[in-house]
Amino acid sequence: MEAIIPHLIAQNIWQLPEANRTVYATLVVLGAFVLVLGLIPVLQALPPRGRRAIVVTVTFLAGLLFAAEFFLPVDWRAIFPKDDPTRNFLTPAIQPAQNVLQTIGALALGLGTYGLVRLHLRNVVQRRTQWGYSVVLLIAFLTMATFSIANTLAERQLLKLEGTPQRVLERGFTILFDYTLVQLDAAMFSLIAFYIFSAAYRAFRIRSIEASILMFTAMVVMIGVVPLGAYISYQLLGLPQGPAPEGAGLGTQILHSIDLPDIANWILFTLNAPAQRAIEFGVGIGGLAMAIRLWLSLERGVT
Amino acid sequence: MDWFMEFLPRTPERLGIWIGVICTLAIYSLLYRENPFYRFFEHMYIGLAAGYSLGPLGVDVLYRYWVEPIWVQGYWAWAFVVPYGMYLYFIFSERYGWISRIVIGTLIGASAGLFFQEFSSRYLPQLNSTLQKPLWLSSANPDLTVSMVINNFLFVIILLSVLTYFTFSYEQRGGVKRFATLGRWFLMIGLGAIFGNTVMARMGLLIGRIYYILNDWLMIPIGGAQ
Amino acid sequence: MQPQTIWQRMLSIDRRWLYAILFVNIVVFLLSPVRLRAPISPPVQKFYDEIESLRPGDLVMISSNWSASTLAENQPQLEAVLKHLMRKGVHFTFISIEAQSRDISLRLAKRLTEEAGYEYGKQWAHFGFVPNLIVAIKGMVNDLPATIKQDVTGTPIQQLPVTKGVKSLKDYKMVIDITPSGTVPIWISYSPKEVRILYCPTSVMAAEAYTYLDSGQVKGMITGAKGAQEYEQLLGITGLGAPFANAISFSHVLIIFFILLGNFALLMQRLHERREG
Repeated sequence: MEAIIPHLIAQNIWQLPEANRTVYATLVVLGAFVLVLGLIPVLQALPPRGRRAIVVTVTFLAGLLFAAEFFLPVDWRAIFPKDDPTRNFLTPAIQPAQNVLQTIGALALGLGTYGLVRLHLRNVVQRRTQWGYSVVLLIAFLTMATFSIANTLAERQLLKLEGTPQRVLERGFTILFDYTLVQLDAAMFSLIAFYIFSAAYRAFRIRSIEASILMFTAMVVMIGVVPLGAYISYQLLGLPQGPAPEGAGLGTQILHSIDLPDIANWILFTLNAPAQRAIEFGVGIGGLAMAIRLWLSLERGVT
Repeated sequence: MDWFMEFLPRTPERLGIWIGVICTLAIYSLLYRENPFYRFFEHMYIGLAAGYSLGPLGVDVLYRYWVEPIWVQGYWAWAFVVPYGMYLYFIFSERYGWISRIVIGTLIGASAGLFFQEFSSRYLPQLNSTLQKPLWLSSANPDLTVSMVINNFLFVIILLSVLTYFTFSYEQRGGVKRFATLGRWFLMIGLGAIFGNTVMARMGLLIGRIYYILNDWLMIPIGGAQ
Repeated sequence: MQPQTIWQRMLSIDRRWLYAILFVNIVVFLLSPVRLRAPISPPVQKFYDEIESLRPGDLVMISSNWSASTLAENQPQLEAVLKHLMRKGVHFTFISIEAQSRDISLRLAKRLTEEAGYEYGKQWAHFGFVPNLIVAIKGMVNDLPATIKQDVTGTPIQQLPVTKGVKSLKDYKMVIDITPSGTVPIWISYSPKEVRILYCPTSVMAAEAYTYLDSGQVKGMITGAKGAQEYEQLLGITGLGAPFANAISFSHVLIIFFILLGNFALLMQRLHERREG
């Protein structure tokens, strides 16, 4: 019995043989799909308490790996003299865990795309109002998906194209990505500038001490950090630039520090930074409490 | 005349720029009012963005972390990851929806477990930095000036007052309430700085677009000489 | 019906007039030959000094996480920083947690490196897109080649000359995060303490980062397009930053003027109503 495990490890049981690897791999993946999806009727047969127990356990174990890896001491040489002093016994598990989480993360991102396509397909099939726009969306989706996947595969040398198909791919992707998607994205988000300008004029009302402080700070920062602030201070007002010379009198020191760029930087470093730090501390403590609640499934409605 | 001939979309690059400008103007037409031209490009934008993501997601992630380890390297155990992740897609089903929570639990549990390290490496050094701020002149810190000490004092007072303002565990009265009010005013300074910077960011994005229209499309050279 | 006062008319102005005023203001100041010099802010100076302290062949990780939505802010930053890194002979690798940024940064870097004669694989590389930055950093600290596996060309990263012998993120000198989202706290939290972190946020994110600058968790920062202009000035190059920052300056004046105008009109209207009883 003792000899079997080292033997199996020596044979590398985790790796498929090189001969016919593609066939074996395909079979294993199909098997995995059958096995994992075949579990669904079993899971479905569980009572609500059993279902919750599974979710709670998985959540706890996923958190435990990273929490324990962080909290356990790295240096175990007192017990295991040959141990690596930079990592503990859980550290090697981070690698496979990261691969798993990246893969699941990609599937989670794909969920949004799936939901979007599903919705618009329904719009088209059921001829809902303005379904024509859904057709536009689906055509754009399919065209871009084809070019994007082909382009990424070609970069990795997984898709080898030559001559005209290669030129079509390159030019097509450039038009779709550089000249269409990028431009639409940039234009869409630049709309906010118009709205912020309109809102500033119509809604920014100085009615309280708080609003006055906020607006005064915003104005000093808005002018002080841009080149115009320096122009007003040094060219128009003639204030001296740079730090005051050593041993200068109080008057000179004040003159050297009342220019708009210096005031703006002082506001940002001395008045803004501690306020942001206080917010950070609030977020940190709140985040820690929330992390513990989520990890232990104490937060209702999430797990 | 030369300018006009160059301006026309006669080369692939010029054609691309024309497409880019049409896209931009279509989006900007919303500013006048909602219209079919805008709706068309809006839907095209969403479709393109969703379609584009499949390249990086499929090849950079799924190929790299799932296909390649199994089919090329032969590590068969990875085969279970994608079927397990596919449980997520039951979220749309009323009957089987709960199954997606197993995978969501994996993601949430991992994030929660990772937060302990974040708390220690992100927040504690900030606490440490605050506690190390010298509040008086001493021979141990020969480089320290009076203005630095004043600034340090201000820093600590602002931090404490804003934290007091954020403390809701008891009713604030008297001096504590006044200190918390001071904290609220200092918080407004932080928010004012954020507002000022937000305006700057948004203007920057619009300027980028107008630059594209003027410089790339209309070919009016906009120099950066200082 | 009573005729509207001038103040009422001012307050209820059609928003499209406001949009047009803003548009014209930007066009005028982009086209105007006026180019104001920027004062170099301390975070930008520190950023510059940190890169100046690097030696040829040092390795830097560029975390490029911006999409076209913040192109006007992040592109001038990335261009200026890349030019500085290449001038210093520093080697660099890219990683993106934003899908679109993968191709934007790859294409931009290809163009700039070709101009500077930098060779892909030898002096720089792109690791592509990963959706989960936290575990990617944890993985890279532990075992970088096993985490990244291959670059965007499908080459195992141990075979790339630029990353040959690199075992962990600890072998990097610096991380430069160019981002419109909250990724810098992730780098601060999970990357090795010996790796310096530099930050290129959009202006929206900048105010919140001053606490990290104060604590030294972030060593330097370039704030949006106006920070890029300062950096271009330090490098003595002409880029997108200068015309952008110039137009930003005057759009700020316009906004401040209109905030005051809106408040003034409201005040006058109130006084008018009080007089009218």
